[in-house]
Amino acid sequence: MELSHVDPGIIGVWRWRGVVSALVFTVLAAAFSLPIPLLWPFPPLLIASFGLAFAWLWPPIAYRYLRYGVDETGIAIESGVLWRSRVALPRVRIQHTDVSQGPLERRHGIGTLKLYTAGSRHVRIELPGLNHDEALALRDALLAEGRGSGV
Amino acid sequence: MASETDFQPTRRLHGLSWLFGLSIAIKQMVLPLIALVFFGTRDNDRGPFGPYLIPIIFVALLIRALWQQWTYRYGFGPHGLVIREGLIFRNVRQIEYARIENIDTERGVLHRMLGVAEVRVQTSTGGKPEALISVLNLEAVQEMRAKVFAESKPGEPVVAAAPETTLLHLPTGELIRYGLIDNRGMIVVAAGMGLLHESGLLTLDKQWLQSVLQSSSAAGLAALGLMMQIALGVLLVVSAIIAVRMLSVVLALVTFHDFKLTRQNDDLRVHFGLFTRIALTLRTRRIQAVHQTESLLHRWFERVTLNVDLAGDSAGGGEQPDANKSRARWLAPVCVASTAPALIAAALPAIELNDEPEWQPLAPRARGRIFRRSAVVAMLILTGPAIWYLREGAIVIVLSCIPLAWMHAHLYTKHTRWALAKDAVMFRSGWLTRRLTIVPRDRVQALSIDASPFDRRSRMANIYVDTAGGGATRAGIRIRYLAADVADELAVALYRTAGV
Repeated sequence: MELSHVDPGIIGVWRWRGVVSALVFTVLAAAFSLPIPLLWPFPPLLIASFGLAFAWLWPPIAYRYLRYGVDETGIAIESGVLWRSRVALPRVRIQHTDVSQGPLERRHGIGTLKLYTAGSRHVRIELPGLNHDEALALRDALLAEGRGSGV
Repeated sequence: MASETDFQPTRRLHGLSWLFGLSIAIKQMVLPLIALVFFGTRDNDRGPFGPYLIPIIFVALLIRALWQQWTYRYGFGPHGLVIREGLIFRNVRQIEYARIENIDTERGVLHRMLGVAEVRVQTSTGGKPEALISVLNLEAVQEMRAKVFAESKPGEPVVAAAPETTLLHLPTGELIRYGLIDNRGMIVVAAGMGLLHESGLLTLDKQWLQSVLQSSSAAGLAALGLMMQIALGVLLVVSAIIAVRMLSVVLALVTFHDFKLTRQNDDLRVHFGLFTRIALTLRTRRIQAVHQTESLLHRWFERVTLNVDLAGDSAGGGEQPDANKSRARWLAPVCVASTAPALIAAALPAIELNDEPEWQPLAPRARGRIFRRSAVVAMLILTGPAIWYLREGAIVIVLSCIPLAWMHAHLYTKHTRWALAKDAVMFRSGWLTRRLTIVPRDRVQALSIDASPFDRRSRMANIYVDTAGGGATRAGIRIRYLAADVADELAVALYRTAGV
């Protein structure tokens, strides 16, 4: 099966998400940091600088390892940088599908494809970062031929 | 479908259904009621209703139960089972015949005295829409089974006409063995202890302890000498173990009294229970996996335990939490090890299990990794407490982890094997408690391969074969420490045949 990358727009989405959570943690750290004169700004500043650097540098790496492929049997999704995983889902096993879009994703024209199975641990398999129209097309393609009982 | 919307169900529940509705409602209300009585007696001012509060609640519940019984209707529509509840807030539920998988019954002591049963209509999607009909008399249940299954399989004869063959019947002796193997009594004792502790009954009274220690019997015990004291201590522990085991045996005798596994057409049926009699249908086409468990005690008695996973069991979201969901699906709580293959074959009729499959080992370097991992984990856990309690002696404990970890790694890799047969994937694991899981290849839901940085360094990967119906913890097959290329090949092979 040939694997391909998702839309590079997802990098922007991940970056903004990272920035927002880094800021949230910074505010929390500032609120709870010990009131030691001159030293108190250090923990929040440290968290802010590392958080922002991570939020900026990590998404391109994660993007490089996020790949998916579709063939006549089903779909496979590869992800993870350090802990790598690959999920293969035959299309007859897809119970139903969602294409969801958050506000950030909408700005970048990106959608997340969610595939639901009757399984026990992989009840929901997500493929983020697809171009929204592409996600809809992929969903339709997967559903068109996958008319199985599901169990 | 105009015909279906026009259809009005006319059959009613059994005349005494309100009794069961009431008892369920009271069971749900029992704790708040106790609290009410308890706190009510403390205050002198008991509110405007005072002593009438409980009778008022009781009458309200009774009226509700009677109302539910009077307004409940079910019937056999042209396409499905139709159930109508309520009159003002009306809820009509249709369950297509083809989708009805099981009609199970559960009968407590009261049900059996009155000749009625609680009926559960199970569908393949799991949970919704599943109906709980409480209660029907036995002829009505028979009629429902016959009608529903005749409709769902129009070409075939009515189910009730087929002969029923008994595959397994557990006599008292087997149940005693099961009780000895399965330490269920321990769980009950632990739960009881917890409850006593919570309620404050289990706190040691220091004065009482003091008086016991200073009593003449304590002095007599002290005079017995060390050997005698040790012997008494051992006797105490042994008798406690025996008592717990006996409790387990009694529980096994009550729960699995007259356990019977029968086959009718393609379906397996399970009946068991002394007080609460349970009848379940295990439709073989719904069986997703078979698990065989064999602990050390199992091996001493040459017995195994067999469970199955049924589709739809794991999916929650039903309207009421159903006790059946969490209950293990027994194929055989205990059976002679040599009869297990025949029972597994009955549960998975589509699979050829006659030939011994080609068992494959884990990756060659798996033993070393398991050894290192378990040694490190054991040392991390033990070092702190060992130094705390034993000081210098801790070195013995910590060093003894190494041979034990080696033994574990050696035995684990020796007994852990997987096999890919033509129509099933099998996994055998563990050395103290040995498990065997068989998943038909056409029941595989999804596959995943994952590899941590450690796995990648030694070119290994873990594979997880997901199936339906087992709950997140025990469903499917997870094989760790496979060679990465072997895991890939296995995943590709299973992916091609899943659901075919």
